[in-house]
Amino acid sequence: MNFDMDIFMDALWRLSPGYLTEHLQLVIIPMAIAILISLPAGIIITRPGYRRHSGRVMAFFNAGQTIPPLAVIAIFFPFLGLGYGPAILALTIYALLPIARNTIAAIHSVPEDVKEAAMGMGMTPREVLFSVELPLSVPAIMTGIKTSAVLTVSTAVLAALVGGKGMGAVIFSGINFFRPELILAGTIYIGIMAIVIERMISVIEWMIVPAHIR
Amino acid sequence: MIRVDNIKKTFPGANSPAVDQVTFNVNEGNICVFVGPSGCGKTTILRMINRLIEPDQGDIFINGKDVLEMNPATLRRTIGYVIQQIGLLPHRTIEANVALVPGLLKWPRDKTRQRVLELLEMVGLRPGEVGHKYPHQLSGGQMQRVGVARALAADPPIMLMDEPFGAVDPIVRIRLQDEFLRLQQTFKKTICFVTHDINEAIKMGDYLVIVNQGRIVQMGTPIEVLTSPADDFVLRLLGDDRGVKILDLTRSGSLMESFQAPPKTSAGINGCIVQAIQPVKIALEMMMKNNSDQVGVCSGDKIVGILTWNSIKAHINRVSGDGP
Repeated sequence: MNFDMDIFMDALWRLSPGYLTEHLQLVIIPMAIAILISLPAGIIITRPGYRRHSGRVMAFFNAGQTIPPLAVIAIFFPFLGLGYGPAILALTIYALLPIARNTIAAIHSVPEDVKEAAMGMGMTPREVLFSVELPLSVPAIMTGIKTSAVLTVSTAVLAALVGGKGMGAVIFSGINFFRPELILAGTIYIGIMAIVIERMISVIEWMIVPAHIR
Repeated sequence: MIRVDNIKKTFPGANSPAVDQVTFNVNEGNICVFVGPSGCGKTTILRMINRLIEPDQGDIFINGKDVLEMNPATLRRTIGYVIQQIGLLPHRTIEANVALVPGLLKWPRDKTRQRVLELLEMVGLRPGEVGHKYPHQLSGGQMQRVGVARALAADPPIMLMDEPFGAVDPIVRIRLQDEFLRLQQTFKKTICFVTHDINEAIKMGDYLVIVNQGRIVQMGTPIEVLTSPADDFVLRLLGDDRGVKILDLTRSGSLMESFQAPPKTSAGINGCIVQAIQPVKIALEMMMKNNSDQVGVCSGDKIVGILTWNSIKAHINRVSGDGP
């Protein structure tokens, strides 16, 4: 297999950029749904009434993380078929886990004495959640979102296998046609996307987390 | 002011109750100290007063009102709460921490701010210096002062203090105790104070409640407890220096032989003088320093009597001679 610079440049500048938007959709949509589901779920599971179940839920989430995303697609394939929808679903399920896990861990790690003092001062459970537990949990929750986003950028490559398109189309073409130029070009974009998204979330984190608890 | 009537609490999964048959009153303006070993239930008693823990049975009244029928959050905003770990909110400035309860009570901003500055000053902190800092930038002693200021913010008539000075070094602890007692002279709050340190209990308490294994074993003023411990447990808790502790709580004036008429000279006393209101312990110290077995007792600058080693010895034998 020889490396053709012309094909590489063509793949890098002309072919791959067309797949960028598609790929970003495969990241942003599952991430948005995952955040909307796992943040509230993580909060509910740490409320006193449900708290005793949180260990089991965490174990479930951890186990979920060990299933390869391709297997998740395979599980849903008989029901949802191939295409964009199943790819989004599989990516969402995969993105849920780090966010939920970090949210639960973050809320659990708020010092007991801080919560006791807040309650003792006369804060309602709701006020304790919104003024104490969540603000102190933001850094760890943001870490979960970052982990999940970076993971989704790379996992979304697999979407091409079920007809979900994205940058995976470029990479898998390269594999099928023995063209390392395409594989490299696609991979470079994946790498850049992962770094840029990670930095963007870090900037958001920097803006919303007060300096002294960062 | 606070009336606790036969409360009982068994935690889920525990074989024996953490608190059982506990009944006591705390009078307005008094410091009532709950003292006992770790795990004896004293903290549980305290936390039932502001309903951080709900009793299984029994009643708790504050000013005649049943606290179990009040909204817990509303109740707690009227009770100052200080804990050993302090529990300042790490993401808020010192000013914001002290302003917590006024904020919950929706005080106007100006009033809150003025109150915060006044309180920081009162507990011995410079508002300009620490007000904008965050808790982790303060020393342990400073944080504890902020904890007290925060509890006092909305001027609650009642304070619950759970080993409030337990986490600081002994020198700072003594200073905080002294300052707090000085503040209390003007505040006259009704205070429930938990400690495992009998010396702190005797120093801070107007009234002691001695707790062991979830039950009250003795109640009384410090001098009552010291002079007539109820059982061996209390005796051991009081320590081997019970007699000396009694001398610390006894005023020199109460053991002196008064002069019928003021003496013409202070012969035999040689400047070896204590004030009548000073504890006998100080008189003893004077005797040792001057190698004498008597001291003159003054009221102001007038000598009013004489305190002798023999009368101290007789007093100790009388009140603590053979224990229970």
